[in-house]
Amino acid sequence: MLDLLHYAIKQAEIFGASDAEAYAATNNESEVFIENNDLKQAKSQSISSIGIRVVLDGSIGFYSINDLAKSRIRDGAAMAIKIARASPRDRHNVLPNRSRSKSKSIRGIYDRNSESFQTSDAAKRAAELLKAAKSYDSRVSVDSGNFSAQVATHALANSNGIELKERASVFSWSIMGMAIENTEISSFDYQVGGSHYVKDIDVSSTASEFAETVVKSLGTQKIEDSFKGEMLLTPMAANEMIEEVIAYAINSDALQKKSSQFAGKIGKQVASDLLTVEDDATNVDGLNASSFDREGVSHRRNVVIEKGILKKFLYNTYTASKDGVRSTGNAGGSTSSPPMVSTTNFLIKPMRSSIDTLISEIDKGILISRFSGNVNPVNGDFSGVVKGGRLIMHGTIQHAVKEVMVAGNVFEALRRLNGVSRERKVIYDSILPYMRFDGISFTTG
Amino acid sequence: MMRNGAQVADNLRLLISSSKSATYVEARYQSRVASEVNFINGELERIRVVENAGCGIRVLVDGCWGFSSTSNISNDALKDSLDQAIAAARTLARTKKNKVKGLTESKMIRGTFSTSASSDNLSDINIEQKVQVAKEAEKEARSNKAVKTASCTYRDMLDHKVIINSDGADIEIHDSKPEFSVTAIARKASQSVTAHEGVGVTGGWDDLFKKNNHVEYARIASARAAKLLDARHVSGKKTTVILDPAMVGLLSHEAIGHTVEADFVLSGSVVKDKIGTKVASDLVTLVDSGRSEIATNAGGTIIVDDEGVVAGRTAIIEKGMLKSFLHNRESAMIFGAASTGNARAFQYSDEPLIRMRNTYIEPGVDKLNDMIRETKHGYIIKGARNGQADANGEFMFGAEEVHWIENGEVKELLRGASISGNAFEVLQSVDMVGNEFQYDIGTGYCGKYQPAKVDGGGPYIRCTAIIGGVQE
Repeated sequence: MLDLLHYAIKQAEIFGASDAEAYAATNNESEVFIENNDLKQAKSQSISSIGIRVVLDGSIGFYSINDLAKSRIRDGAAMAIKIARASPRDRHNVLPNRSRSKSKSIRGIYDRNSESFQTSDAAKRAAELLKAAKSYDSRVSVDSGNFSAQVATHALANSNGIELKERASVFSWSIMGMAIENTEISSFDYQVGGSHYVKDIDVSSTASEFAETVVKSLGTQKIEDSFKGEMLLTPMAANEMIEEVIAYAINSDALQKKSSQFAGKIGKQVASDLLTVEDDATNVDGLNASSFDREGVSHRRNVVIEKGILKKFLYNTYTASKDGVRSTGNAGGSTSSPPMVSTTNFLIKPMRSSIDTLISEIDKGILISRFSGNVNPVNGDFSGVVKGGRLIMHGTIQHAVKEVMVAGNVFEALRRLNGVSRERKVIYDSILPYMRFDGISFTTG
Repeated sequence: MMRNGAQVADNLRLLISSSKSATYVEARYQSRVASEVNFINGELERIRVVENAGCGIRVLVDGCWGFSSTSNISNDALKDSLDQAIAAARTLARTKKNKVKGLTESKMIRGTFSTSASSDNLSDINIEQKVQVAKEAEKEARSNKAVKTASCTYRDMLDHKVIINSDGADIEIHDSKPEFSVTAIARKASQSVTAHEGVGVTGGWDDLFKKNNHVEYARIASARAAKLLDARHVSGKKTTVILDPAMVGLLSHEAIGHTVEADFVLSGSVVKDKIGTKVASDLVTLVDSGRSEIATNAGGTIIVDDEGVVAGRTAIIEKGMLKSFLHNRESAMIFGAASTGNARAFQYSDEPLIRMRNTYIEPGVDKLNDMIRETKHGYIIKGARNGQADANGEFMFGAEEVHWIENGEVKELLRGASISGNAFEVLQSVDMVGNEFQYDIGTGYCGKYQPAKVDGGGPYIRCTAIIGGVQE
């Protein structure tokens, strides 16, 4: 694969590029879908593609093609040059240099056993996931789900001498549905799981958590009055309500476009001291773990918010050049797109309290399993419906609640964060704890 | 870059004729060249051209679906891919409880088609022209002093498809779908208003800029953002509203259309027992069509679906009565209906699913001026923004601008607001339907496991809905 990348770079240089980069990926995937309490379809495919980025007098061109034949790569390089000739100049269009220290490969993201994992194995796991959910309780109904096994190789080379290649295996699964009892239909719940190793595949605990949540969402009672109280988010709800807002605000691209709420706040308190946020592609529990980013910069652990204090923004080479800093290894994107700035694995640090302790300390509040509504990533406003909500009074869970609305602002809420659990969950590329906030407005319909 | 269609078709025919062990085999070759140019605040944010080509093979074996895809379309690679699809289907046969009963009989289409009658060919437009329109329009949007941030995006997709299946479909399709949009954000102190304007069509470059040129779209967006900056907010209430064509399209697609997709109906949609019953006012005829009916160049035009079935006009609601769900051949078999030609796959590597095409309400007889004149108190709702709709037809959509009507006259422009309600109740309340028709959500994509290019629209309609909430 690296030979083809060198070929692409060489061709781009022959056509006139001052700098060139080629990024290729091959992905072998088996996936089985669940629909309406049954297996639906099995899919197996292999996809290879290459993205060629060229710089010509400060102008950028990008062409991507899902064919690794040399003649097509040559055409692609010529097209990238043609695009660069039509693009405006920007002196920050630079490619990263080879790092002086030898870049370290992370371990624990590739399982050799994944090579022999067949579509039939994926079907078995999907059937197991479905069966585990259905056998948990007869009221459980599975609307959709999947089990996917992927082995991916990605490689990057550029004209500054960067040359990298890595392989990873990722198994992931999801399940979505509700519980039905007579005429009552519970809120939908959605759970996911994943691992890099065959031995770590555990569909039954995902199924149990899903089944338990939907069954406990039955028997809803209406809350009489709107109130202000505590909000306890499950990791999935935190992923839906909180994560995107923080990820947007710490992105250097948003900072440079003047839309980050964290502008000018480095070294300042932006959240309660219970909040520590890391972006860490070297944490192999996250499914997005890898050794290098979309433009070949080594990944590392970036502490973004520490005990509520903003420490840094996330950069790729382009935004770093604009601010005169170094890339944090956050160039993201696939072969079909030039690099953007994005998070890798998003982690919120666990604290000492158990979930039970967090619940026992609540005088009046709601445990939210999922949040369905709008979150404005720029200003942090959120409003929507509580899904799978349960009322907590005087330290104990009372009952499921009927369609309660919740609204507020994530940035304000982060200052009111008053509890973070020691238990965490992996949601693809996020590793999140339960999070508790006070002073949140709940409205009944 | 385009492969020879006849050669591809020969390879696929050979493949289909070689597979005797499957109940059904379908091979879809698709080559797509997609371009994107995006400028934000005077800087090039993104430029790319992405080419994807390959063949997706779907089989029905022992009552189970198997799917595989390959970017290599040599005879050997296709055969390998077919074997993989068959093996995948067989692995399900052991565990799947309810086997697929079969596919309904449909007339299988043969021939070569182009989705647009236009002779102007998008592949002749070079990247310089695409860069130029995006750059100039973005600059124009910022020339309005109130506008502090602007962006402009040009995108297009050029598709060449060959679809052959074991039931006799043998089709070659050429499709071209460009789109163009401008966003302007006006700011004053802590106030900020965002306005979008754009267009997405099935057709060529001239079709895209037929109604307005690129600079005019920028002026419309920036003028709206600027004038809304000084507008007041509307107070929330259930009241008479006149929805514009874009909002009618969004409502038809998002809040009604999804509930009648047959796979959704099988999962227990709110309309599952309602065929033949009255679900809307007599004035409402709501249609989903793969052709560009009434007006030209609708963005979701496909002509033939990915199962080889003609993608014609399906009246979902006719004069208020629920008439039809949207089907592929599998769901049509279950319901004892005909396929409506709604099986669509986004790329070669996606399997066909039940998806909408151009979804709209047919025009009536009323003039917009009369609709306003006959409204004692109400609002005109313009500029559909994103929103959400639940399985039961409950929806909440954002609108960019609201015009207050009092005693038959438009009094004042107000800030954007959300509109909500139950879509079926809203359609029951329709009492006037405009006589002018327009498609206006062609820049949109619908998401359901995979994206799909869709469009929608209608005339202005008058109905009752809840208006309220603040949209920045």
